[in-house]
Amino acid sequence: MAYVKNTLRIVLFLTFGTLFLYVLPQHDVARISGTEVIRMDFSSINRIFFAQADSANQELATRDIRLISTSKRKTFLLGFIPREAEGVMVYRNEDTGWIWPPYFKFDSSDLQAEAQANVSSPENEQWVVITHYGWRNRFFTIYPNAIGIRPVEGPDVRIIPWFNIFFFIFLGAAALFIRAMWRQFRERSIDPALSEAGEAWERVDARAEDARGRFSRWLGTWRSKPKR
Amino acid sequence: MGLLRLLIFGFIGLSVVYVAISVYSRSVRREKLEGEWAENHPGDSDSAARADFIEAGMTEYNAGIRPKLILLVYVVPAVLVIATLIMTN
Repeated sequence: MAYVKNTLRIVLFLTFGTLFLYVLPQHDVARISGTEVIRMDFSSINRIFFAQADSANQELATRDIRLISTSKRKTFLLGFIPREAEGVMVYRNEDTGWIWPPYFKFDSSDLQAEAQANVSSPENEQWVVITHYGWRNRFFTIYPNAIGIRPVEGPDVRIIPWFNIFFFIFLGAAALFIRAMWRQFRERSIDPALSEAGEAWERVDARAEDARGRFSRWLGTWRSKPKR
Repeated sequence: MGLLRLLIFGFIGLSVVYVAISVYSRSVRREKLEGEWAENHPGDSDSAARADFIEAGMTEYNAGIRPKLILLVYVVPAVLVIATLIMTN
């Protein structure tokens, strides 16, 4: 039982961990090197890693995707430990619309304009903080979705992930609350019903015992009487 | 279309939360009243006076502000959505 429980816990943890890793916002310090628009023909493999057509547009199998090419500062541990090393990163820039993930982003075109306004050149370096969610994967051709671009003075900025802090505090509070609700429900509804059922069962059992007693007594009358 | 879907499913989801919290809150209040009665009348756990006391307490609870505060379950997410909308765009 403990084995099953632990397995279930690990599976739940991994599922939600992966989901949060994908959906929660992260911040990258980067220099924008350019923007482009490419046509994408999604397959069933990478379709779920893209949002939908721009708000109020028709959804077709094929469409153009805005991309932002950058060179970003690499980090360890999801940005908690900054590094000097740099690497290229390409972001997509799509409306998330009303549904999922709930960023309610409708301003892809404006964001593209902002990216173009902050393009960095070797003689005039322009650093930005890019807020994004999602993953880059070369084998599936998927990109993280840029949510916001904020110009900064230099690459050494301190980023505090306020949203994620509050999100996990809220998640913990919600989990405790649900546990309290479940305990209250068990104490007030399930346990009384169970003990009532238990009592009922005991009554049934006692009657069965009684009946069995009578039956075996009756059977006993057929047995041979002890010899005198 | 997307907005409509969000409103409908959001309303359903939040209604589930609302009902769950209402039931929980009421249950906690009832338990508190039972505990209060048990403290003042040790030995009496099943009388008409006790039932009256608990019913009066529950009526008072229903008339108070607490059940109305649970409606914030609908208000807070709506405010958060609007705040996100403004901050993202």
